[in-house]
Amino acid sequence: MPILSGCWDQTSIEERAYVVAIGLDKSKSGNENQIQVTYLLANPEFSKKEAMTNEPPMEMITFDTNDLIVGKNKANTVIAKEISFNLLSVILVSEEFAKDKNFIRWMYDTTKEREIKRNTPVIVTKEETSIFFKQNHPKLESRIHKYYDYTLKYGSEAGMIPNSESNLGKYYRTTQADASLYLAIYGTSEKSNYSRSNEEDSLMAGEMKFGGETNKVQFMGSAVFKEGKMIGKLTGEETRATVLLNNTLKMGAILATYKDPFDERYRITAKLLKKEKTDVKMDLKNPMPTIDVIIPIYLDILTQHSMIDYANDAPKRERLKQSIEEEITDTFNALIKKTQEEFKGEPFGWATLARKQFLTIKEFEDYDWMKTYPEIDVNIKVKVNIGNFGNQSEVPDLEEMRD
Amino acid sequence: MNSMDSTKGKIGLKELVALILLDVGTKVADDTPHTFYEAFGTAAWIGILLIGLITLIPILLLTKLIKLYQDKNLIDIILHLFGKYIGFVVLFILWIMQVFANISNSAIYTDIIGTMYFNRTPVVVIYVVLVAVAAYGAKKGVEYIGSSAWVILFWVILSLLVVLGVTFVQGEFTYIFPILGTGGWEIVKGSYNHSSLLTDFLYFGFIASNVKNVSIFNKGIWIGFSIVLLSFLLALIGYVMLFDYYGVRMFDYPYHETIRYIEIGFLTNVELLFFPFWLISSFIRFSFYLYLSALLFGALFKIKHFEYIVPALAALTMLVGLIPESAIFSMNRLRVIFLNVIAPVFLLLPCLLWITAKLKGDFKK
Repeated sequence: MPILSGCWDQTSIEERAYVVAIGLDKSKSGNENQIQVTYLLANPEFSKKEAMTNEPPMEMITFDTNDLIVGKNKANTVIAKEISFNLLSVILVSEEFAKDKNFIRWMYDTTKEREIKRNTPVIVTKEETSIFFKQNHPKLESRIHKYYDYTLKYGSEAGMIPNSESNLGKYYRTTQADASLYLAIYGTSEKSNYSRSNEEDSLMAGEMKFGGETNKVQFMGSAVFKEGKMIGKLTGEETRATVLLNNTLKMGAILATYKDPFDERYRITAKLLKKEKTDVKMDLKNPMPTIDVIIPIYLDILTQHSMIDYANDAPKRERLKQSIEEEITDTFNALIKKTQEEFKGEPFGWATLARKQFLTIKEFEDYDWMKTYPEIDVNIKVKVNIGNFGNQSEVPDLEEMRD
Repeated sequence: MNSMDSTKGKIGLKELVALILLDVGTKVADDTPHTFYEAFGTAAWIGILLIGLITLIPILLLTKLIKLYQDKNLIDIILHLFGKYIGFVVLFILWIMQVFANISNSAIYTDIIGTMYFNRTPVVVIYVVLVAVAAYGAKKGVEYIGSSAWVILFWVILSLLVVLGVTFVQGEFTYIFPILGTGGWEIVKGSYNHSSLLTDFLYFGFIASNVKNVSIFNKGIWIGFSIVLLSFLLALIGYVMLFDYYGVRMFDYPYHETIRYIEIGFLTNVELLFFPFWLISSFIRFSFYLYLSALLFGALFKIKHFEYIVPALAALTMLVGLIPESAIFSMNRLRVIFLNVIAPVFLLLPCLLWITAKLKGDFKK
């Protein structure tokens, strides 16, 4: 049987053009059945580390087509080699397309294509994907598929983007289950003129202002999908809160800032770790259903511009703990409110936990989690445990020093 | 091989167990799980346990009969207990069932190989290779099939364990809920209908005379039975944990989707690693099936050297299997009906045989 593979299904590597990223947009032609597809092709010569070549690292082609599979043939009118999706590392869709009610039809094409794997990440871009690709020039990483791998990996460690959730397989599962909301990574290459508050993290992609000579592309926040269609967005901070509430999303150590209760001018930077699972207790049989959530957070305090001696002063530490707990709880409550009122659904994976309370699939589907969730009373309790205070726990008392 | 000299071409415990495991166990990797999820929902694993329970009695009776009639295989027993004419009819029905199973299974496996792995190779070619290898094995005889089974069993089990292990690590346990799936009554009904999954155990009775001795046969059956149930249990739980009931319901072949989805460290396309093992166990399975159909045919029409019928049966299987246009749908539907129909045959036959033996007083001799 292995011999057979050499007969019909054989194509040598040189004869293939590997598409590392696909972009899907709404077609500009106005034809409802067509979409605009962009293939980003990698130059295989760049995969060798000592490659000395004058060729560009990638090639891009954009055209209108019925779907991304038939597009393979169309692309061959221009691209010299046979198109292959075997090394596809990411699928991008534009926000405009994701919000289209027919979006889901094209997404399901990917299940039929053998070469596209279910764990391919999905990214929603603010602008058209063809523009996004054009403007994405990572300076330190010329191998474009590696760029996506790394960015997605490290961004999700900080919890700003929902990486482990944001792939095709989970899209299908969440959509078909019709109980929770699906989150995809949100990114853009365009700077936004919209400025929110001056706090660190309640930003969306594009809003972080930075200068210098670096890539224009930012990934921050998530796109929220309900029943296969995009219905809204979450900021970086909200995404982080979601990661904390959702036990299936993984995060590394998050760096965040909080109000300093003793000095309003300054903020404290802390390293957040979730060492235990978030405890979610549901009481759904009650006519007034409730969910009680306890989130255990471990904090290492890293900076204290107020120069207050938290390390040695227990009551002050207590106060700090309370203040942080309040602040975090407020963030969570605002997020829950948003999900219940604006989205009318939850992206925390609580639907799967709710399933434990039902004996049969039919019972659960009759309960209709998606419809009942907005009415449920959600109580959040945050338990903060303060760990250490960075490398050097004591800081000098400014007043004493500057006398 | 040392089994050749002292045992004169009879198979021992190892070969028997290997044969059972590869024959029935491979069902975990075709579209059988799909039918399970349709019937049971998230409780597919409960379904298999119930099936095990239901089939316990028929298999127990079978082993008792084999023990009673030492040195005879099921064919002889049926002919002895039911007489020439009814026995012929029964054997004929069993033979038809086997041939039908051959055709539908080989068509489905060809489809698996075609859709999941060799997209562009013509279906006929795949079918021919599959059937040719099976015919070769079948012609050589059951001892040959048994020893081949034993040789590769280790690797097949290893690959299955790796796949399952990764599934459990990367999966979500909560997807198992709601625990009763489609509901209590549905599970019971479904278990009854799907109990034909283990019909193969009945057919193992036909090679009972090829086994070294009866106690080995009985031991082999029970060991095979428990391990098969266990692997089904773990696999069914594993698939749901990885893809959730809603996802796995859409899959035709969950096992193959699984090996494409999981990642082992830096290896991304691990499916190529597991595919050969699955392929070889499929070959063993079809070799055995072809051998069985030839054996039964030989018993029906009093042909002593039935190995020579094998190529003819193989060709027949292939030609009929190629007829339906889209194997996965026509075959699937047909197979489900077929499985539901066989279930009572499988469950009742050993009971009927046993009752007849009791009535004839054979147990008292």
